[in-house]
Amino acid sequence: MSDASAPSVSDGRRPRVAFFDFTGCEGDQLQVINLEDRLLDLVEVVEVVSFREAMTEHGDDYEIAFVEGGVATAHDERRLTRIRENADIVVALGSCAAFAGINALRNDQEFETVKERVYGEDSDSITSYPIARPIDDVIEVDYEIPGCPIDREEFVGAVTALVNGAEPSIPNYPVCVECKFEENTCAFERGETCLGPITRGGCSATCVSAGTHCWGCRGMVDDPNEGAYTDVLEDHGLTTEEIIEEYQLYWNWQRDSRAVADGGNR
Amino acid sequence: MRSAARTHFEHGESEYQPIEGQIVWIDRHTDDDKLFVIDLPDGVSLDHDPGQFVQLFVPGVGEAPFSIASSPTKEGPFELCIRAVGNVTNAIHDLEAGDVVGIRGPYGQGFDIDAIAGQDLLFIAGGIGLAPLRSVINYALDRPAEFGDLTTLYGCTEPAEQLFPGELDEWADSDVMDYRETVDEVPDSQEWDGDTGVITSLIPPLEFDPETTVALVCGPPVMYRFVIKALREKGLADDRIYLSLERNMHCGRGLCGHCQLNELYVCLDGPVFHYPTVRDKEEAEV
Amino acid sequence: MKVIDRSDLDALIEELIASDPRDVVGVQEDGEQYVFDHLESADELTLDYDLTALSPKKYVMPQRETLLTYDRTDDEYEMRAEADPTGHIVVGVHPYDLAAIEHLDKIFIDTLQDEPYRRKRENSVLIGVTMQDVADNCFAASMGTATVDSGYDLMVTDLGDTFAVDIGTFEGDRLLESTKTRNATAEEIERVAEIEADLKDGFDRELAFPPAELPTLLEASYDDMDFWEDYAEQCLSCGTCNVVCPTCFCFSVDMVRDLDGDSGRQERRWDGCLLEDFATVAQGENFREEVAQRHRHRFMRKGWYIYERYGDVACVGCGRCTRHCVADVADPCEVYNELREAQHA
Repeated sequence: MSDASAPSVSDGRRPRVAFFDFTGCEGDQLQVINLEDRLLDLVEVVEVVSFREAMTEHGDDYEIAFVEGGVATAHDERRLTRIRENADIVVALGSCAAFAGINALRNDQEFETVKERVYGEDSDSITSYPIARPIDDVIEVDYEIPGCPIDREEFVGAVTALVNGAEPSIPNYPVCVECKFEENTCAFERGETCLGPITRGGCSATCVSAGTHCWGCRGMVDDPNEGAYTDVLEDHGLTTEEIIEEYQLYWNWQRDSRAVADGGNR
Repeated sequence: MRSAARTHFEHGESEYQPIEGQIVWIDRHTDDDKLFVIDLPDGVSLDHDPGQFVQLFVPGVGEAPFSIASSPTKEGPFELCIRAVGNVTNAIHDLEAGDVVGIRGPYGQGFDIDAIAGQDLLFIAGGIGLAPLRSVINYALDRPAEFGDLTTLYGCTEPAEQLFPGELDEWADSDVMDYRETVDEVPDSQEWDGDTGVITSLIPPLEFDPETTVALVCGPPVMYRFVIKALREKGLADDRIYLSLERNMHCGRGLCGHCQLNELYVCLDGPVFHYPTVRDKEEAEV
Repeated sequence: MKVIDRSDLDALIEELIASDPRDVVGVQEDGEQYVFDHLESADELTLDYDLTALSPKKYVMPQRETLLTYDRTDDEYEMRAEADPTGHIVVGVHPYDLAAIEHLDKIFIDTLQDEPYRRKRENSVLIGVTMQDVADNCFAASMGTATVDSGYDLMVTDLGDTFAVDIGTFEGDRLLESTKTRNATAEEIERVAEIEADLKDGFDRELAFPPAELPTLLEASYDDMDFWEDYAEQCLSCGTCNVVCPTCFCFSVDMVRDLDGDSGRQERRWDGCLLEDFATVAQGENFREEVAQRHRHRFMRKGWYIYERYGDVACVGCGRCTRHCVADVADPCEVYNELREAQHA
């Protein structure tokens, strides 16, 4: 996720920060606003120059850009390129920005059909690309904060790291680790299925803790044993179609990228 | 009731209590490597064995293990040579003279001075591997009467990667130690009039007595097998080879498990190993 | 051996809850599974459980705990090692979990010293209970941990209307000071021995050979990569087997910063050798890159490596890893039996 050359802010000034939204639900920025009291602490250490959801002013002079949402149009690409030119550090905020997230659900489907289903008669006016992409398919991204929505604590931790000249780190262990910390009953033991074993952790297994199961919103761990996991789900009675549906919700882009990296179709 | 206990320690009571060190000097060696000179309270010496490591804690940044690059024969501040390769080390590179850091240690087994005393020493360093070896090279240079002939071989990928440039010149001019160096390649932008080729190319031309020589080796993981093979071809017995291995210690004390190498803990049993101890350990990769 | 009426044991626990400054925790059913948790009253305690989700290790080595805090004032940093001394009174610990804590004591107190562990451990009281139910995956009898004769302050055995109480330590003895007990009769002592003897027949799972043979077996199996790869093919590398293990003690240390940049802490967190990045060094080299290597390491460590260092086999046979592994590849009993069979084939 982070590499040796990744930049950081460390010269002691209050870094200027901007938030941008692309194709997405803006739920991640909402999580930032929902920090409430802690948001006040945050603006003590950073200067927010652009945040459409929370303020009317806008500035183009910033060091850290938090980008929410995925890439859908040529206009998105141009806008992202400008952001990259302005920012020292670009952080993908949320799963759509980080790995196309739920937007990529459509990547497997016939685009005309998708457009018609969503926009009906107005579908002709839609200028989107047929494939939803994460922002790192267009520009270089320094850090990612995955999640649908993002975990507020993880966001605060990332900002804290950046303003202190350190690099944010996102776990590469799966949801199961924190789920066991919490002593949740395994979703499988409750007769459900769960994507926790190959989904990136860092969320304190919040969904399982709340009594449901993991949908995989933080994306897959770096090296998931997808084949073995498919076997597990089959053993628990899911059909191939059902398993694909589970994987498609958030992982379409990641699975396609992995398949390309492996040199074949998935 | 025994539960009425203190939560805080006086200095030194907990094994995890660092002592405060102050960076007194920083010297950039390469684009990615800097030497940090660290002073301990009241100017005390670290009192380490050559080859041991410390855990360096930087407030707000984190903690990481580093082999000590200076010799215990040098009193006062000690030295760490740190390459910026990740989260913690990048941030360490942003530190300045005067900054305060935490030091735990020294930890681990260094080079067995008793075992190598009186022997001819052949130091073989690759890249950043010179840093741990420098502690024992300088130890030997400071106490030449305790050892036989001294030879150092140093290989880097390119000239600009060389650490301790000033010191290398001194070694090259030294009457006490035979110093030889090589680089894998010379980019057009860099100057070099020495040998080129991998570190192992320096071994065959060497003349040393395998009966009285011990080799002390440190470098990137990929280096060990080739160096050991070349040494064996020169007739050096396995029990005359010592290696310093790198792992990612979190605790430094044999607990956290990150540095485990089969049944060995690098932080307790190493980082310097007698080669026969790790020869058959798959995870040593030597 | 003492004998205490059931109602007096309840009263003792109520008394501890009311007056001991320490948190009294015990086994309870949380609706879907058994867990060690804070007791509001003795009624919540369930002593006839089979297996808890996590072991009571969490009270002496919590999932996350602070090792060090730092604080900057006027350009001076204060760095301070922390060791939370909070002890617990833990009620209802099965013998295999007592054996696991005794094993950790050997490492964290007797051998390598770890102040955060030692303080919590020395401030804790362990009240064991003889097993009354055996989990499907448990093979403690094979590992010699279905019963123990040390590692507890008190050990209770359910005799119906009464409990037999074996006193393990002076601290355990003191707990009974204000409680009505009497010395056990010959029949009662005999009854406890019978219960313990019968218990050994209650296990479905059995290691087919003495655990003392594990180090030799594993050493001989190290290079059998076909075996390890075959197993690892189905392993998700999720680390669950590590996290639920009562004897796993590996950890990572994370930096947790306060927003102002002037203060923060170093926090240790349970980590596990099955997780991909566990053996990775700063420059990216991973010394156990393959799942099969990590999978093998876990079994080697349990049955051989730890023995080399501490003289213990580090598996107590509780069966938690087996129960929690969704891919069904974590069972040490099965793996060790199969290795043994392969060796003797």
